Amino acid sequence: MKRALFAGPVRRRLFLALLGVFVLSSCVSLPRPPAEARVVPALAEAHIVIFHSNDVHGKIDNFAKVAAIIDAERKSGADVFFFSAGDNFSGDPVVDRYDPPGAPMLVLLDRLGLNVLCPGNHEFDYGLEILRKFAARFRTVAANIKPRPGAFPELKPWVVLNARNGIKIVVFGLIQIEAGNGLPSTHPDKVKQLRFSEPLAKALELKKLRSSGHVLIGLTHIGHEQDLLLAREMPELDLIIGGHSHTRVDPAENVNGVLVAQAGSDNLFLGRIDLLLKNGRLVEKKGRLIDLSQMRDEDGAIKAMIAKFHQNPALARVIAKAPLEISGKNALGSLMTDAIRQAHGLDVAFQNNGGIRLNRLPQTITLKDVYTLEPFSNQIVKIVMTPAEIRGLIKTSFERQREIDLQVSGLSYLIRTDSAKQIKEIRLSKPDGSPLAEERTYKVGLPSYIVSSYRFAHRDAGRSLYATTADDIILYLQSGADLGIYRDVRRAFWEIAAESPRN
Amino acid sequence: MHVKVNGQTIEIFAGARVRDVLRKYSRAEWTLVRKNEKKISDAHGHEVGLDGELNGGEELVVQASAPAESQS
Repeated sequence: MKRALFAGPVRRRLFLALLGVFVLSSCVSLPRPPAEARVVPALAEAHIVIFHSNDVHGKIDNFAKVAAIIDAERKSGADVFFFSAGDNFSGDPVVDRYDPPGAPMLVLLDRLGLNVLCPGNHEFDYGLEILRKFAARFRTVAANIKPRPGAFPELKPWVVLNARNGIKIVVFGLIQIEAGNGLPSTHPDKVKQLRFSEPLAKALELKKLRSSGHVLIGLTHIGHEQDLLLAREMPELDLIIGGHSHTRVDPAENVNGVLVAQAGSDNLFLGRIDLLLKNGRLVEKKGRLIDLSQMRDEDGAIKAMIAKFHQNPALARVIAKAPLEISGKNALGSLMTDAIRQAHGLDVAFQNNGGIRLNRLPQTITLKDVYTLEPFSNQIVKIVMTPAEIRGLIKTSFERQREIDLQVSGLSYLIRTDSAKQIKEIRLSKPDGSPLAEERTYKVGLPSYIVSSYRFAHRDAGRSLYATTADDIILYLQSGADLGIYRDVRRAFWEIAAESPRN
Repeated sequence: MHVKVNGQTIEIFAGARVRDVLRKYSRAEWTLVRKNEKKISDAHGHEVGLDGELNGGEELVVQASAPAESQS
């Protein structure tokens, strides 16, 4: 099977490539083979297979197929590795709300024999302690993270993997940072103990690693566009395996002599890289994606584990008790917006009625109830708004269905229309009944759905707070909030103004 | 931050994902992508997931999905 990958026309190409390498090596100065290459027996050939995934985001179901594919390759005698380019967490409550968070992912990746992990921005979502457990179990690389002294000793800038025939594979990691704050796209409180540097600049400092192994790989979580820039700036690399942008790169593309790969997202695809080395030199490399929906074989033991994880007992755990059921859009929307406002210290928060997917919360509230109430994983976006801009948002929301659409915390509002439901006035009031100060701005929290779907003017484009509405509700319920206040709560009003008699 | 969709510059909040930019670009196109009648790719023609994370300055392209093969 191993030979079949390079059979027929491929074998002829390989011969021509080897001939080219021989001719070139006698004409130009190629990078010197690493010292370790001298220990490789003459004419030794090495075929290395690297499977890779990225941005799995808690979607564990296809791991039974991934296990079957990797296991079959191992049994065929190939030298097999498995890499993760980050963001294994955040996206499915089965994994995210396990006790401890992320445990199913750790167990499954361990069973799959994960060799190297580059953390993505969402690897920090559960806090540093959980990531430390992962880093203690798997080789974890990120060259542009500098922990404060003693904070994260398990994290390495690069590692060297020993393949067969004395082949050494050097793998360094890079994680994305935002242009604005220089931090990965996660809540800033999650990464307080760490410092980050610009990934491409850091990579260029690592060119010297070329001489430390036979194969040099960048395992990145910086997005495909940045991977392409890295390939153009660093031809010393043999391969970049990326993540973050959820890009399906199929087949892997050759950029400036560097093979660039990424395997989409959500465990829908598994990336496969084939490397062929002769006498310590990489002579052929190629990559493709395996569409897991087309695969039938599954590892039975892994499948059984996944089924058990889906019964996550934590989802049935009671997180709050209310003095009575909380029912209706007004009450549920008020609770949701209070949760958003409290979680982020905002002045005002809104929630659209269409995003409230439950008619009532029972007195005994479980995690599962929260994810039923808000199943969309909407991120919360903070926008600094003037009262006039808030009125514009409310006007747009009302005009979508000609009815109250937005629930609110931090203020109440009254829409006055004529009998044809044309808006005549929108009055905003603070919780104490006084009007909002027209000259000042307010920190407003909105689900990302509203920000991207509703047409309203706002000078501040806003910034994600990297938390979902469900996250905020769970925190709010666990904080012991007084749930009795939602009995007859109402903060959004609509009245039809009496019309003047016409002459 | 700014992201281009089919050549049109869209201003969107920092930390937005592909789905956010697409919804802001066009509700109609968003609906077609959700129905798999259209697909969304990066500037290099690679298909991207709706939860793909974006940096300012990136470009997206919405185009018709390849027609399904005839069964007849």
